[in-house]
Amino acid sequence: MADENTQQKKEESKKRPKRHPNKNYALKKRLPLKPVDGDNVIFITKKTNFKAQLDKCCDLLTRGEKEIILHGLGAAIQRCCNLALQLEILFSGTCQIEVNTGTVDCVDDLEPLTEELDFDSQVRCSSSIHIRIFRNAMLGANQ
Amino acid sequence: MEASEKPEFDATLGGTEHLPYAANSLKFASSRSVEIAAMTECILRPSKTKLVFQTVPVHMRRRVMSHNSKRLPRKLRKAHLDQLKKSGLPPKQKRPSRKYRRRPANLLEEYNRRQKKNVWLETHIWHAKRFHMIERWGHRLPYAPCDKAFRACYRGSSAHCLLQDISYYTPIQITGAEKLIKEMFAKVTSSVCGLSIGATAYIKGTRHGIIHIYGINSFPFGYIGKVQFIWVPCDGTNKNLWLFVHPSQTDQIKSVLEKAASIQDKDNYETAKKRRKLENVTENIQIKAMPSSFNRFQLTGPNSHAVLVQSLKCVNDGIKNSKWLSLHKPLDLKEKDEYWRTISTASSPAQLPSNMVVGLVVKDPRLSRPQRRTKAKQDTNTEIDTKSLLHIPPFISNSPLWDIKIHEAIIKECKTNGQFIQHITKSQLVPGEVDEDDPALQCVPVVLVQRPGSQNPEFKKLGYGSGWDIILPSGYALPFWLTFIMFGARSGGLREKESLAFEMGECYLPPDSDAGKENERRIEIELRERYFRLPPSKRVNYIKIAINSPFVCPWNVLLTDWSDNKVNKYFVLRDRTILNDIQESITKKQCLPNVENANSCLIPVYIKLVAKGSLQKHSLICLPEAGDLANLKTLFEPHHEDPNEKIRKLKRAEHIKLQKKIRRSKMKLKKKVTTVGAKKLRKITGIEPSEYTKSMRELWLPSKVQSVRNVASRQVMGYVSQGAFSFTEGRSCGIGYIAFYALKHLLNNGLNQVLVRNTTSRKYRLANIVIVKNT
Repeated sequence: MADENTQQKKEESKKRPKRHPNKNYALKKRLPLKPVDGDNVIFITKKTNFKAQLDKCCDLLTRGEKEIILHGLGAAIQRCCNLALQLEILFSGTCQIEVNTGTVDCVDDLEPLTEELDFDSQVRCSSSIHIRIFRNAMLGANQ
Repeated sequence: MEASEKPEFDATLGGTEHLPYAANSLKFASSRSVEIAAMTECILRPSKTKLVFQTVPVHMRRRVMSHNSKRLPRKLRKAHLDQLKKSGLPPKQKRPSRKYRRRPANLLEEYNRRQKKNVWLETHIWHAKRFHMIERWGHRLPYAPCDKAFRACYRGSSAHCLLQDISYYTPIQITGAEKLIKEMFAKVTSSVCGLSIGATAYIKGTRHGIIHIYGINSFPFGYIGKVQFIWVPCDGTNKNLWLFVHPSQTDQIKSVLEKAASIQDKDNYETAKKRRKLENVTENIQIKAMPSSFNRFQLTGPNSHAVLVQSLKCVNDGIKNSKWLSLHKPLDLKEKDEYWRTISTASSPAQLPSNMVVGLVVKDPRLSRPQRRTKAKQDTNTEIDTKSLLHIPPFISNSPLWDIKIHEAIIKECKTNGQFIQHITKSQLVPGEVDEDDPALQCVPVVLVQRPGSQNPEFKKLGYGSGWDIILPSGYALPFWLTFIMFGARSGGLREKESLAFEMGECYLPPDSDAGKENERRIEIELRERYFRLPPSKRVNYIKIAINSPFVCPWNVLLTDWSDNKVNKYFVLRDRTILNDIQESITKKQCLPNVENANSCLIPVYIKLVAKGSLQKHSLICLPEAGDLANLKTLFEPHHEDPNEKIRKLKRAEHIKLQKKIRRSKMKLKKKVTTVGAKKLRKITGIEPSEYTKSMRELWLPSKVQSVRNVASRQVMGYVSQGAFSFTEGRSCGIGYIAFYALKHLLNNGLNQVLVRNTTSRKYRLANIVIVKNT
């Protein structure tokens, strides 16, 4: 079923934006699987204020955290990159960036809109970025 | 001597009368019966001037005898109490000592007495120590924790785990043929509101669903409420269905279903008669409401999965000699255990298949309880396999819990906390060590129900409000509850239920149902009383700011104003496709699609303020005029004249004068009383407010609302039924209802934003509207 859906999606995506992959189903998203959480791990979202997240990162770094890890998924990747670059400028010379990219399998629920159909689900792949920002010199320049 | 001078009476002594030799005792007594009766009455009922305790001889009199009847001789006590009652003073008994009251038997008796009025939950005593308790829907329910944990409860629901006891939901069991049940529900539901109860998606029993129930064939009017249902998985033709109904709607839903079933029986009988196949007639549907046969807890938040994983330990194979196992053999225990283990590494219930139903058999929760309160955490090292999340295995949903036969056996075998501790201290050699396979403690069947929470990231944070509902057999509420609490769940009450619905953007008790109307009435009375308790200088003068119903939303009047003919019945639009179309036309600023019964149609909207400002209950949603969006900053409702102000002042002055007059006459009377000693004038303290206060209240707040649309400078489109600062949005939000024609008017003007005004202010604020789809 999942394969059929992806095929249909490909065909439809040419015509119009891929909101409804199938007329019989409503697409409901589930929470994507999360990598290891911690104090120095920040998930970048599109809804949170950019400045607030930048401040949070700055705080963590100036407080003496050796490294922070930023995760961005899908549309938030660009934001994540921007944030990392901003941080690099702010902590000029004292920070280094290591970037990894990956793919996250997101599961979507397909809720039937007609009586005869059963629930279904599909796997959607989404790109992700994982940026590790670590200090190479503790100067306290930004205190 | 005097005696010798007096003539004798008896003839033998020289007198005149001849006396008989014998006296007839009966005759003697009867001739004196009047005297005897008078004497006995005198003894039994002492003269009116004396009270009972005054008749006791001096040496038996005691201090404060009249107040404490125990000091009287026992035979006089009753008469004394009767006298006291007559004089109007209720006999005050001393409160028994705390020691006496706390004796287990006396305590239990007291609890049983108090439960007669309102039903208690099993966790009542735990809650009563920590929560404000209120009476609602025939239950005594926890409202909010005493430690004011409003924001903490929100944080629990969004980042940790919020735990609520919702055992007050009434389970209703429906048994019958699948086809008949479907037909019955077709009469009380509508297919446009979503999937029906018999949809293929639900009938297997692996997922629970929600349906909206209306009166029989009265759609779209006569809405009753939404009901959660779970099919019991089985292969036979006779199916079992469980509904979980809100207690405010239980009676209504039960009677409606019974009616629908009976109509159907008649039809069936007739058709069967025609076809001469009478064997169908014997099959019918049984509807049974079974309050307090289950306990149900609601766990919300990402951590609720970890809490459940830590506290529920599955039984691998049914070796345990629990009594109920002989009545109902649980199936597939090993596979279930395996599946539960594979999904146990999920970091949130929102990652699991939506609306999943999981039936487990678990060990006694007291065995897995931590020593002190610790936060349950997921071991994040192992990643969950996405393949296991895609489909629900078919065996996972069956559970012996749905079999009512075993409930009695479970309750009988259940060990109370005291017995449990006794058992543990007796059997444990090393304190602190727990034997998980203790045969003395029976295993418990439970059913877990997943709630997906928000699944639309454009509307709310993905997975907000997701969690598990756990259904337990009765008798096991407290052990499970305490285990969850020990694993770091935060407990909430009814207030949290309301605020959770608000944060999720759902309607809590919609206004077209009887339960919603009842709720509105209650809120109105509360607010009204609060308003009139304030001194006049602290009251908001609603007439001056042109608000004529600050405590209740007059939906009837609103709809009548917008449709030009009288509207008595109204309904909230729940047709999914039309709601989607309306949402689309709002975002694109197009004309609205047509709706049937548009006169009496309310559209549920979620309101988000564009800039700052706070939104409250009963705020007005207004129609912006042409130039309003340009000069929002100075957009105020102009001051209105209050014609009643002068009348009130005059009335008050008059009243004060009258009061003075009365007081003076009273004083005069009092003086007379002291001189003459006549009756005292007793002050009458009535609960009903006097004519004067009633008329003054009417002048403050006219109770008859004739029209609402054109009262203020901007036309009123609708009202906010629930409004507050929303933590998920970070700004003030609200849930309101707008008349359909008003929305049409708005979109015809080429706008898709509305003005909102609080009931206590003159300031109009701009707000965006989103259609609420999951009413």
